[in-house]
Amino acid sequence: MNTTDSPAVEVRRLAREYSRRGKPPRRALDDVDLAIGQGEVHGLLGPNGAGKTTLCKILCTVLLPTSGTALVNGFDVVTKTDAVRRSIGIVFGGERGLYTRLSARQNLRYWSALYRQPKAVGYRRVEELLDRMGLGDRADEPVETFSRGMKQRLHLARGLIGDPRTLILDEPTVGMDPVAARDFRELVRELRSEGRTVLLTTHDMAEAEALCDRVSLIDSGRLLATESPRTIGQWLSKYERVRAERVPAEVVSHLRAVPGVGGVTAAGDVVTVETVAEGAAGAVLKVLVDGGVTTVSTVRPSLEEVYLHVIGERGLAVG
Amino acid sequence: MTGLFWAAVRFQAQSLRRSPEYLMSLVTIPALTIAFLAIVRNSGRDDLVPYAVLGAALMTVWATALYVCGELIESERYGGTLEGLLAAPAPFSVLIIARISLVTVVSFLGLAESGLIAWLLFGVTIPVPHPGLLLLTLLCTAFAMVGTSSIMSALFVLARSARIFQNSLSYPFYLLGGLVVPVALLPGWLQPVSRVIFLSWTADLLRDCLRVESPADAVPRLAVIVGLGVLAFAAGLTMSRAILRRIRQNGSVGYA
Amino acid sequence: MSTVIRDNLRILRCAFVSAFADMRATYTWRTWTFAWLVRILCQVTLFAFIGKLIGNPATTEYLVVGNSVFITADIVMMVCATTSWERMAGTLPLLIGAPASPFVVFAGRSVQWLVDGLACSTVSLMLLAPVLGVHLPFSAVLLAVPMVALISLSVYAFGLVLAGLALRVMSARNIIGRLGSILLMVLTGVQVPVDFWPAPLRVVAQFLPLTHGLEAVRTVLHGGSGGTVLKGLGLEIAVGFGWSLVAVYTYWRLVASGRKDGSIEFGG
Repeated sequence: MNTTDSPAVEVRRLAREYSRRGKPPRRALDDVDLAIGQGEVHGLLGPNGAGKTTLCKILCTVLLPTSGTALVNGFDVVTKTDAVRRSIGIVFGGERGLYTRLSARQNLRYWSALYRQPKAVGYRRVEELLDRMGLGDRADEPVETFSRGMKQRLHLARGLIGDPRTLILDEPTVGMDPVAARDFRELVRELRSEGRTVLLTTHDMAEAEALCDRVSLIDSGRLLATESPRTIGQWLSKYERVRAERVPAEVVSHLRAVPGVGGVTAAGDVVTVETVAEGAAGAVLKVLVDGGVTTVSTVRPSLEEVYLHVIGERGLAVG
Repeated sequence: MTGLFWAAVRFQAQSLRRSPEYLMSLVTIPALTIAFLAIVRNSGRDDLVPYAVLGAALMTVWATALYVCGELIESERYGGTLEGLLAAPAPFSVLIIARISLVTVVSFLGLAESGLIAWLLFGVTIPVPHPGLLLLTLLCTAFAMVGTSSIMSALFVLARSARIFQNSLSYPFYLLGGLVVPVALLPGWLQPVSRVIFLSWTADLLRDCLRVESPADAVPRLAVIVGLGVLAFAAGLTMSRAILRRIRQNGSVGYA
Repeated sequence: MSTVIRDNLRILRCAFVSAFADMRATYTWRTWTFAWLVRILCQVTLFAFIGKLIGNPATTEYLVVGNSVFITADIVMMVCATTSWERMAGTLPLLIGAPASPFVVFAGRSVQWLVDGLACSTVSLMLLAPVLGVHLPFSAVLLAVPMVALISLSVYAFGLVLAGLALRVMSARNIIGRLGSILLMVLTGVQVPVDFWPAPLRVVAQFLPLTHGLEAVRTVLHGGSGGTVLKGLGLEIAVGFGWSLVAVYTYWRLVASGRKDGSIEFGG
C-alpha cells in the first residue's frame, strides 16, 4: 500500500475558527492531527457539522487555516498553493459546482484548461473520462438534464481531469440512490487500484467500512480516533438493537440472561433489546425465534449512537 | 497562459449562447436609437444623427458591462462554482479578464445595430471620414471598458444586492460620460468628474471622427483613454485579489 | 355578488402586502432615494439635455414633461418582471389550486410599482423640472399628479397583459417588459408628437395607454381648455379599461391552457 516515504497528506495541529459577533468564535476544526499515506484510501467519518468539509476546503487551498500546518503531497497549503492545486482533484458532493447550462463535454473541456492542460492532451483526456464514467452518449446535453447519479459521475470526472495523485471526495454519495451509490463505490475502488490517494468524507458507516483502508472519526472539529474498517464493522454489529413484538413474558426474562445484552425494555407490545457485544444480536434472535416470536427486526446503530458508546467507553471528552 | 485565455473566452461564448437573456441590453438599448433619432429628426437637426447613433451604441456597451460583466464573479459564487475555480491552478484574473473581453467585444455589436436602425427606419447613413482613427478609438475604448468592468465584477461581489448597483449606475453614467450629450453642455461643476471617466473622452473623440475636420489632439486623447483603462485594470485586479483573499480567510465574502 | 367583491378586496389587500414586502426587501429609504431616484432623475435629465443640445427651449420643455410622465409608465412596466416572480417562487400551482381568481393576486402583487412610479414622476415634475430650467405653474403640476396616477393605472393594465404573455415564455420576461416600455416611449408622444409617425403607427398609438393621458397633462400644464383635458382623460380611462378586460381574459386563458398542457410548474 505505502511505497514512498512521505505521506500524501500531513496535518499537524490544524485549527480553523470562525468569528461570530457578540459570541465566542466557533471552532470548526480543533487541533487536528492526521497523516494519510501514499495510495491509501482514507475515510473521514462524522456527522453533519463535524468539520469534514472544513478540512477538505483547507486541504484544497480554498480556505486558510487559523493555525497549524497542512501539507498535501509535500506542499504547504498556505504557501505553495499552486503546487497543491496542480496535484489534487476535488469532488464536492451535491448539486453545486457544475455549469448546468453547458454540456458535460463543455464543462470538462473548460476544467481541463483550468488545470493547465494543453488543448490536445486535455480534449483526449475529456473523451477518456466521459467514456469511463459512462457519460459518453449524453456528453453534449446540458448538465441540468442529468440525474443525480450522472451529475456525481461528472463531478468525479472533473476531479480526475488533471490526473491528480491525490483526490478529495467530500460526501460524494450523499443524496444518491443505492444503485448509483454502489456504482460510485466501484469507481472509487478503481481509483485505489490506480495507486491514487483518496480522502473520502462520509457520514455513512457502512460506506466507510466498505471502501477505506483506515477511517478517522471526527466530531465537533476534533479528530477522535483512527480505526481500521474492521473496527467499524465490529461497532456496527456490537451496538445493534433487536426489536420484537408479542414476546411471551418468560422469553423476556431469558433475553435478560443472554450474554452481551445491555438492556431489555418493554413498551406495550414491543420489546427492544440493546446489545453491547459482537454477535449478541444473533444469540438474541435465536432465543426469540425458539420462543415462537415471529415479528423481529434488527436495527443498526446510528453514527451518533456509536459515537456515544465509543466516546463513553474511552472516556473521551467531547468539546 | 494563452491557452487558458482562449478556453475562458470559449467558455463565455458557450455560456452566452445557452443563456441569451444575458444579452438583453443588445436588444433593448439600440431600440432607444429610435427615440433619439425621432427627436432630432422632429427638430430638423439631422446633423445630430451621429450623436444619436453613437450615444445609443455607447449606452449599450456600458449597460452590457454593468449587467453582464458586473455579475460574472457574483454568479459563480451564487452558482456554487467559485470554490472549484479557486481550487484550480489557473490564475483567476486571467479567467475573468478573458470572459469580460469577450462580452465587451460582443457589446460593440450595438454600434452596428444602431447604425442599421438609423438606415432602415430613418433612411440615414453616417459617413465615416476617419475610419482608421475611429477603429483605433474603438479598440482603446474596448480596452478601457474591460478594465472598468473588472472593477464592477469585483465590486458587485461585495454588495448585498448587485441589482441596486446595476440599476443606479446606468443613467448617471450615460449623463456623466457624455455619451449622448457632450460633457461640455453639462454644468461646470460636473465637468471635472466627467473627465475622470474614460467614457467622456471616448464619446467626444468618436463624435469627432464622424466630422469632416480632422480631430484635434487625437493621440493625447487616445492616451488618456488608455491611461484611464490601465488605472481601471489596476484597481479592478487589486480588488478581485483582495476579495478572493477574503474568501479564503473568512470562508465567505462578508457583505459590505 | 358582494361577497365576491369583498373576498377579492381582501385578496388584493394581501397581495399589496406581498408587493410592498418585495419592495422593502430590495430598498431602504436611503438606497431608494440615492440609488433609484437619482438614476430615474438622470434619465429625465438626459433627455432634457438632448433638448439643450438641440438648442430649442420648447423642445426641452416638451422632453422634460414627456419623460417625467413616462417615468411612471417605465416603472409600472416592471410588472412584467415581478409577475414572473410568482412563477419562479413556485407559488403558481398553489394559487391556481385555490378558489380565488389568480388574476386578482397578480393584479395586486405588483402595485408597489404604481406608488414608486407616481412618486418619481411627482418629484421629477415638481423638483427636477425647475432645476432643468423648465418652470411649470405649480397649481397645474398639482392637477397633473392625479392625472399621472390615472395614467399609471392604465399602463398597469397594459403591463399585466404583457406580463401574462411573459408567464408563458419565462425566459423572455424581462425583454417583454422592456420592449413594451420602449414602445410606449416611442409612440405615445413622450419624445415626439404622435403626428410625427406614419398613419398606421398613429392609429396604434390611439389604443396604447399614456397617449391620451399625456396629452391631457400637457394641456393642463399649458393652461389649455378643460374640455380638452377631460376628453383626454376620458379616452385614457377607456383605453385602460379595455386593457384590463384583455388582462382578465389573458389570465383566464393562461390558467386554462396551462392546466391542459401541464405547463403550470412548481418552480420556474
